[in-house]
Amino acid sequence: MKKALSLLLALVMVGALASSALAEQPAKLVIAARGGSHVDVINAVKAQFEQENNCAIEVLGLENPDLKQKIALDSRNSAGAYDIVMLDDPWMPEVTEAGMLLNLTQQGYTDDPDFVPTSLALGKAPYGTGDTFALPFSGNVTLLFYNADVLASANAEVPDSWQGALDIAKAVNGKDGKVGYVIRGQQGNPIVGDFMPVLWAFGGDVFDADWNVTVDSQEARDALNLYIQLLENGANYEKNDIVSSVADGKAAMSLGWPSWYISGKASTAGYAKIPGKVNADSPENPAGMIGNWLMGVPKNTQHPELAVKLLTFLTSAETQRAAAPSGAVPTRTSVFTDEALSQEYPFYATLLAATEASRERPRTPLWGDIENVFGIELSNAISGIKSVDDALMDAKAAIEDIVK
Amino acid sequence: MKKKNTLYAYLMSSPAMLVLTVLSVFPLLFILWYSLTDYYYLSTRPPQFVLFDNYIRLFRDRYFLQALGNTLRFTALAVLFEVTLGMMVALLVKSFRRGQEALRTVTLLPTLLPPVTVALVWQIMLSNNYGLINGLLGLFGLGPVSWLTDVNTAFYAILVIDIWQYTPFAFLLLYAAMQGIPQGQYEAAAIDGAGKWAQFRFVTLPNILHNVVMVTLLRIIDTFRLFDKVNILTKGGPANTTATITQYIYHNGVNMFKVGYASAASVVMTLIILILAAGYIRQNFRARERAARR
Repeated sequence: MKKALSLLLALVMVGALASSALAEQPAKLVIAARGGSHVDVINAVKAQFEQENNCAIEVLGLENPDLKQKIALDSRNSAGAYDIVMLDDPWMPEVTEAGMLLNLTQQGYTDDPDFVPTSLALGKAPYGTGDTFALPFSGNVTLLFYNADVLASANAEVPDSWQGALDIAKAVNGKDGKVGYVIRGQQGNPIVGDFMPVLWAFGGDVFDADWNVTVDSQEARDALNLYIQLLENGANYEKNDIVSSVADGKAAMSLGWPSWYISGKASTAGYAKIPGKVNADSPENPAGMIGNWLMGVPKNTQHPELAVKLLTFLTSAETQRAAAPSGAVPTRTSVFTDEALSQEYPFYATLLAATEASRERPRTPLWGDIENVFGIELSNAISGIKSVDDALMDAKAAIEDIVK
Repeated sequence: MKKKNTLYAYLMSSPAMLVLTVLSVFPLLFILWYSLTDYYYLSTRPPQFVLFDNYIRLFRDRYFLQALGNTLRFTALAVLFEVTLGMMVALLVKSFRRGQEALRTVTLLPTLLPPVTVALVWQIMLSNNYGLINGLLGLFGLGPVSWLTDVNTAFYAILVIDIWQYTPFAFLLLYAAMQGIPQGQYEAAAIDGAGKWAQFRFVTLPNILHNVVMVTLLRIIDTFRLFDKVNILTKGGPANTTATITQYIYHNGVNMFKVGYASAASVVMTLIILILAAGYIRQNFRARERAARR
């Protein structure tokens, strides 16, 4: 009898221990993030969410191509390895068309008007008008960077038109070994990203509203001719050389992403919104290229509700305020205009204005291919291998071949 | 008895055959199959059989043909220079009475570096803003030259980097082969009045010819897969003059998830390498058969 009782007691204790262990096992959420400062930001704020929701958060920092591959490969598993994924905004058409993300609107998420509209629109499918599939985690928009001393030496103000930028480049280039304007003319994504703001400022684009290819329009020809003139009055550098040349006062101007020049409170160069006009008399077009990092919840997550909750936490104004010292660029108006933060980070006002007046890259799942061939033909044009007309006509033919 | 031996041979080779089948034969068959389909990894519908559509599209794509031409040209030049220079360095080092080991080690260093590191180091050296090479040219009032963004220099800049990195590989294998040449052959040649050139032509070269062919083949296979340097330094530009087949496959298969199309490009690449290697492989098999008969 005693033996049976002790056995029963032991069984009860083991059962109780096992069930309590199971009950207290916190859920583990895995975030596939772009490596670098984004991971630091998430790690800096995650403890609060872990405590409040009895969960553990693991952050995987991955390089850009790795991140896209891993997200895509995992999307075909019935039980996904990730609960939140970071996405470069041009990937959105691909991932939403492939049905990889949870529809946040259907999950009960209502759009927060505090997000800058151009950032929020990136996470919607169809772009801007559809349901929300991802939220903007980290903002970014290309700016015009300049060296104030070099501009002053040419008695020039910060240009507000591309003709103005070209005039300054002409005035500066070659004087005391200075470079007037630096293009980022490496084939592929770099040259396309560097040229698109000029194209937009001239009123051109890759597609018209009906998705007809328009890269050979008169606006595009004029834009590319001006871009080549900028190169003739400057240089073609890769990113590190662009940054050092403008920062050191060797070059006058370049386009770039804020993180290249701005770190913490300081910037190694002056910054301004990218000119949206061809010349002083022409109409102003949005010309800065938006490039946000978004966050979405994969459809095959094991913790959909908790993941959506974490997503709203990570994109909240509180988190963005806390992330500011790590160099994160906000996507919320309230954070951009926060008085204390604006004093600390004076570039927020320019960034907000540029983000509000920004343009997105064409929303098509084929953008990767289009960017590739457009980059090749732009490179042909600036290298002098093809004339501007031939390069743009060939680009049009190649893009039409991709989208047909 | 013969049957028993055959069974034993099959048994002993079965682990290797299994590994070969799983790691090489299956993937190859899958690639062959995928190349005949429109398999897009992110598609929600199953892949459709498209017969040779991918191959037709491939050979109609001017960017692929350009990448193919660049790769063939790059491979021919790189392998020619690497093997020739490797042999010259091997002969030079072999001629030294002292310090052969130290020289061998120092010479090998570039080959030991990962291609990504090599690309980054050369990117800094070739910079047209603060690069060492343009700095040196500046001392003579020359430059700066946009080595990696000028259509006239980018291809050759990458070629030089590849030659710099892999000449030591050719050197090592050829130097090792030269060590196996009996000294008596040189002495006999010298007695017959052969000079340095004649000794090289009639003693050294015939003895290492098999190794020269092997090094050439290995370098062809490796150079054909050129990717890291191009991807980091030029991204295939300027004007697509440094684009390679591997980069083309990577873009379509890895960036754009077009598995079917990228598989077709991979099959073409494999076939070209097989054609280039066919002579050597056939010769090698025949040599082994002859040796087995003896």
